[in-house]
Amino acid sequence: MLSNLYPEVPLEEKQRLFDQVKADARFEDYLYGCYECGICVAACPSARFYDFSPRKIAQTLAREDIEMFYEQMNDDIWNCSQCFSCVRCPRHNNPGGLITIMREVAVTNGLRSTKEALAGYTRIIYKIMTTGTQVSPDMLQEDAFPDWGPQVKEVASHLDLWRRALPPETLHTTGLSWQVEERTMLELYTIWKLTGVLDMISELDEGLHDIMEEVMDDALEDQGFTIA
Amino acid sequence: MAVDRLLVIGAGPAGLEAARGAADMGKEVLLVEATGELGGTPYAHYATLTPHLQETHDAMQEMLDGVKTHPAIDIRYNTRVVESEGQAGNFQVVLESTDGTRATEAVGAVVVATGFTHFDPGRETQLYGYYEFEDVITLVDAEHMMKDGRIVRPSNGQPPEKVAFIQCVGSRDRHIGNRWCSKVCCGIASKQAIEIKRMLPNAKVFIFYIDMRMYGFWEDQLYWKAQEEHKVNYVRGIVTEILKKGDKLLMKGEDTTMGRPVEVLMDLIILSVGMEPSKGTLEMANVFNIPREDHGFLATVGEPLDTVTTPVAGVFVAGAAAGPKDIEDSVSMGGAAAIKAVSFLNRLSKSLA
Repeated sequence: MLSNLYPEVPLEEKQRLFDQVKADARFEDYLYGCYECGICVAACPSARFYDFSPRKIAQTLAREDIEMFYEQMNDDIWNCSQCFSCVRCPRHNNPGGLITIMREVAVTNGLRSTKEALAGYTRIIYKIMTTGTQVSPDMLQEDAFPDWGPQVKEVASHLDLWRRALPPETLHTTGLSWQVEERTMLELYTIWKLTGVLDMISELDEGLHDIMEEVMDDALEDQGFTIA
Repeated sequence: MAVDRLLVIGAGPAGLEAARGAADMGKEVLLVEATGELGGTPYAHYATLTPHLQETHDAMQEMLDGVKTHPAIDIRYNTRVVESEGQAGNFQVVLESTDGTRATEAVGAVVVATGFTHFDPGRETQLYGYYEFEDVITLVDAEHMMKDGRIVRPSNGQPPEKVAFIQCVGSRDRHIGNRWCSKVCCGIASKQAIEIKRMLPNAKVFIFYIDMRMYGFWEDQLYWKAQEEHKVNYVRGIVTEILKKGDKLLMKGEDTTMGRPVEVLMDLIILSVGMEPSKGTLEMANVFNIPREDHGFLATVGEPLDTVTTPVAGVFVAGAAAGPKDIEDSVSMGGAAAIKAVSFLNRLSKSLA
């Protein structure tokens, strides 16, 4: 009620985003009412490490606290690991699911904080959406994963050899986590395009969107597919 | 010779059930009521009943008619019990009607069902400005408006856009001296919040509470319903003070689960006033020498297994005279008191025959 970290953003804009979240078809099933009992926070791994509370997400939406909602859209929602431990709620709320909706609205509206939060994930988004696999072996560089220890450097320098030493032939890959059938990728591209997931990215990162769209369109066109 | 006749004092839900029960079991019943109407506090003041929101007069009509038409029940309206002499089996009670006429009646046993009174929120240390600000009202004032099918700001007759309930007013407070929970206010506030949202769907309704005490089925019948279907906002934290700001009310408190202070403007604030022993209950403690338990209500012996027997032989208690009770409890106690009193009279007539 008192929070107003974003006085420069007009209330109408905050309300517009709130209305988008509330209008999502899943919203009704994800939020009933909140006891403010904290069982979701107790179960939440992120709450142990961040100033983050799934309870406050549910409470804020239930109370329709627009200012607080806008704060959460710009911060809290990116501290959730989307593990859904919070669904043990006795009222059958789903704070993690509410966060899913909020993230989607944040992405489709290209909030500046969302761009910042996801900036480090450009490569991963690209990798997942164009190949269907997430972190590929050649991304495991010393500079990117210092916490993996000194052996990362050794592994990275002979990556192709290490990978070929693995028994399943489908793992003899370096640019992909595993070998992905071309047909699978084409299905994936079709899904991204038809469901609007690709378009979601356009507000967030137009360059990334355009590059991925080109990759997908070219691949589909080569095989004689057109997506209306 | 024991007098085979029961005196029931107070014609609220507890007294009505006690009178009807004893009369149905074959006793002559003298029912004394201080006002000119049966039904007690709910009938006089509450537009609808918790938790099912039936119109009170409709819901209670059968109960009232059953007592009014019962051949074995002698009703004295506008009458108080002012004195009692004698003892179990033969109490000589003096009745005084509002016009001052007195009459002495003989009864063998007594059921006291004199109920409660609502806490006066203008009293003591309350900083809610009940007598200063027109738009600060009580649950009872709200019920009176709802009897007319409306809820408005008394200051200007306009429907409120923002309404807040403050719970535990006069309850659970050592400063005031009332340490008890009044049991029904959480349910009644939730019921009224639902009714306000039905009348004014665009109004924002808040309930500021310490604990929501929605025991049993009230949980989903009222609390979940208000919160989920009617989007009533429950905020944990009690308001310390209400001030006037322009033509609005500024309330100060803490939103304890969010961990931040709250200062918000409201159009209408409804105080959820608790229960205290009624004037009649205090008078009956004196007239029949009934000890008061340490909260000030009439004492019973043998709790929790006997809820209606007082330490005075032949005197029983039912309903909120013995402590905060909802209507269900009051009616149940009325039935229990009827059985205890009738069996007491039966034992007396056998031993003294």
